[in-house]
Amino acid sequence: MTAPVLEAVDVSYTYPGPTPTKALDGLSLEVKDHEFVALLGPVGCGKTTLLRIFAGFFQPAAGTVRCGGSPIGAPGWQRGYVLQEEAIFPWMTVRENVEFGLLAKGLDAPARRTIGDEMLTLIGLSAFEAAYPKELSAGMSKMVEVARVFATDPSILLLDEPFGALDAQTRTRMQDALAGVWDRLRKTVLFVTHDAEEALYLADRIVVLSPRPGRVKAEFAVDIPRPRSMETRFSAGFLTLKRRIWETT
Amino acid sequence: MPKVRLRRALVALLALIAIYGIAAEIGRGRLPDRIWMGSHYVENVQLLPTFGALAEEGTFLLESRILAESIVASSRRVLIGVLLGSLIGILLGLGTGWAMRFEHLADPWVTLFRFTPALALLPLYVAWFGYGETSKVLLIATGVAVVALLGAHQGVRGVPRAYLDAAASLGAGKRLVFRRIVLPLALPAILASLRIAIALAWVTIVVAELIDAKMPSLGYLLALSGAYPRVPQMLIALATLAALVLVFDFAVLLLHARATRWMKRTAS
Repeated sequence: MTAPVLEAVDVSYTYPGPTPTKALDGLSLEVKDHEFVALLGPVGCGKTTLLRIFAGFFQPAAGTVRCGGSPIGAPGWQRGYVLQEEAIFPWMTVRENVEFGLLAKGLDAPARRTIGDEMLTLIGLSAFEAAYPKELSAGMSKMVEVARVFATDPSILLLDEPFGALDAQTRTRMQDALAGVWDRLRKTVLFVTHDAEEALYLADRIVVLSPRPGRVKAEFAVDIPRPRSMETRFSAGFLTLKRRIWETT
Repeated sequence: MPKVRLRRALVALLALIAIYGIAAEIGRGRLPDRIWMGSHYVENVQLLPTFGALAEEGTFLLESRILAESIVASSRRVLIGVLLGSLIGILLGLGTGWAMRFEHLADPWVTLFRFTPALALLPLYVAWFGYGETSKVLLIATGVAVVALLGAHQGVRGVPRAYLDAAASLGAGKRLVFRRIVLPLALPAILASLRIAIALAWVTIVVAELIDAKMPSLGYLLALSGAYPRVPQMLIALATLAALVLVFDFAVLLLHARATRWMKRTAS
């Protein structure tokens, strides 16, 4: 058993304001090295809050969060974060987007280009390298954001409902694309979603959160072999697990 | 599409010229040519000069080089004033938009200038710097700086949180964020404010030149044509001013189009 890379112990968080909102209440969670964990819960249960705490944007009001054993500091590339909102930089080309984190790391142009090429091939958008995001579909844009984060080679990926705004068909395609990328790079992933099927299809383990204030309600190990395919979605094991998850939520 | 639009604009302009020509012909001999100037009568005034009279006046203004020299003199003042004012305004606006501490320190100064119409400073600037280039350029720069400052400030403040968060979690430091996120996103707002500033700069220069009895100068040419009054000269000076504002505006519009190529366009 390896030590957890990402760890939250008894974490609480309250949004200040005229009506303070308690988003998280005594939540504990562990993510192990190279593990793909899906955080599943209804809208407003504090999933995004937890992810932003892990990313370094919020400090928990109580409890501790650790990354690789040390406290989490300011946001940085070590914990790659894909926002729920659209955050592709529309004034940069697809290549400039993908290479932005490398620029921030101080890599020179040839080195950026090599990694950029690799990422663009990985998401199948090499032909669009010089295009502005306005020419991309919503699904493609999101994959560029994912590739932009992968490019900096973070040890951990925090993905906040990356495919939440897509239609069901596109979402399935994007899930396959993400699964393909993940199979090759095997990063530690914490993936937030409100879609049980998406969680099942992608994750090794699913953590179900309760409605606000969020705390861990149940956990499921997804022992479905990889690579998963369309067949997986209709297999008996998949459907049984899906039913069990539905019954808890 | 732009071609069609250009053609339509041309048609509209030609129609305006034609209507004016017809009105002038109808008015010839019918309009009074003797007008009361408040203390005396002036004879032989053409209230609505015909094309012939305009052509004659135009030839005189061109051959004497009065018009060309006035255009150069006034444009130069506007250009220097706009460059100086926008440089100062943009730098200050980026500063107040980006750094809260700087905003709090600069705000009282900005407010002071913002609520003083730049033109009202004319007598003061003339007293300080005399008639001549300095007072005119500084007057334009003052007005332009305030507008450019507000544009740059709004531009920086309008940068969506999501981009800043994404950049921060990609490991970008403050300087990179400013250069590659904030600046390109603020640029459209800055250029939009410059268009307003340029129109203001031309208003300013005309007023500043009206009271400075020295040629070459488009504003003083206008003042002279009003003193006789000499309407053909007045109309030519006005049309020249309008054309110059249009040219300046078009230059910024081109920059704006370049800076917003990446934006989604609604069908035009």
